[in-house]
Amino acid sequence: MNPSLPFFVLATLSVFSALMVVLSRKPVHSVLYLIFCFFTIGGHYLLLNAQFLFAVHIIVYAGAIMVLFLFTLMFINMNKELEPHKSNLLKGAATIAAGCLLLVLVAATKGAETLPAISKTSDIGTVSNLGKALYGQYLLPFELISILLLTAMVGAVMLGKKDVE
Amino acid sequence: MNSILQVIPLNYYVALAAILFSIGVMGVMFRRNAIIVFMCIELMLNAVNMLLTAFSTYHGDASGQVMVFFIMAVAAAEVAVGLAILVMIYNNIRTVDINELNKLKW
Amino acid sequence: MVLLSTPVDYLPIAMMFVVAIGFVLFVMFATHWMGPKHKSKVKLEAFECGIESKGNSRLPFSIKYFLIAILFVLFDVEVIFMYPWAVNFAEWSKHGLAAFGEMLVFLGLLVFGLIYIIRKGALKWE
Repeated sequence: MNPSLPFFVLATLSVFSALMVVLSRKPVHSVLYLIFCFFTIGGHYLLLNAQFLFAVHIIVYAGAIMVLFLFTLMFINMNKELEPHKSNLLKGAATIAAGCLLLVLVAATKGAETLPAISKTSDIGTVSNLGKALYGQYLLPFELISILLLTAMVGAVMLGKKDVE
Repeated sequence: MNSILQVIPLNYYVALAAILFSIGVMGVMFRRNAIIVFMCIELMLNAVNMLLTAFSTYHGDASGQVMVFFIMAVAAAEVAVGLAILVMIYNNIRTVDINELNKLKW
Repeated sequence: MVLLSTPVDYLPIAMMFVVAIGFVLFVMFATHWMGPKHKSKVKLEAFECGIESKGNSRLPFSIKYFLIAILFVLFDVEVIFMYPWAVNFAEWSKHGLAAFGEMLVFLGLLVFGLIYIIRKGALKWE
């Protein structure tokens, strides 16, 4: 088996499902395609030897965030199957603009030097190695994350709670 | 399967992340449903996450993966507050069509 | 302790997933295939004790569920940050209580959030 085959299969699936997120007409289908896209990105994490990141990615994105999106969609677009769409002119403009961005990005990185292939012993993706970096070098950002989560909690409660008296 | 890092150059991951990011940008301009626009922003964040992980693995440096953790935490906070705002908007004006949400437009 | 560290080590788990999903798909399709089918308008209707079905099945639900889902996401992310800490804790605790204090600060701030949520009554189920 060609050893680069898993990468190409996963990459094709990622790009296809990402396109379907944008192009599918029903919002629920968009959410489901995005969940699939996140699973393929998780597959890339596995290929990159980042197993813990894979687990976290599946738990946080596919498990929590996308469920929240689905929830909101059910809440808001309950009976409207099809949403109004932009005019074809604007769609064409959006496609061209995104294509230009892609062109610029690819052209800018094309001439860059490639990193040499790495040695086999890359076990930086394990839980304990990540923990050592997280609680050593990045201790302050870690503590600040708790303040961010606290702020988000207060904000969500303020916005979501009907004022009871 | 372990040899995949030896056969895939880092360029491929850069290109894949660029493609996914551009699709996200396209979705933001393409759709009118605010929730889908929000989802496309998540897609862009994930493209960046994947690129950070690829660089982290190829350099043998854990910092990139730690950054992905922070991005995930920020994304979760963003989604929590953003979706609460969207639901609030829906409760007040009964739509999340971004063409209708133009009260702040000059 | 030897940690699993390469994708190859996860191959058995992947195979188990493939077998599990394959079995479920097989059974789902096989039941459709093998069972007898009699399609008629009455039979395809949602059955409601002989009463004709009316209305839409997508009913609006309370916003309280939504708030709880949001708070779940936030606490989920919080717990994620505890895994790398817990794995290394045995080693760090030999050098004093610094690692314990770090997590205590993190959790302390989030407990403030929890107290706020409870005081606001966001988790109250009327």
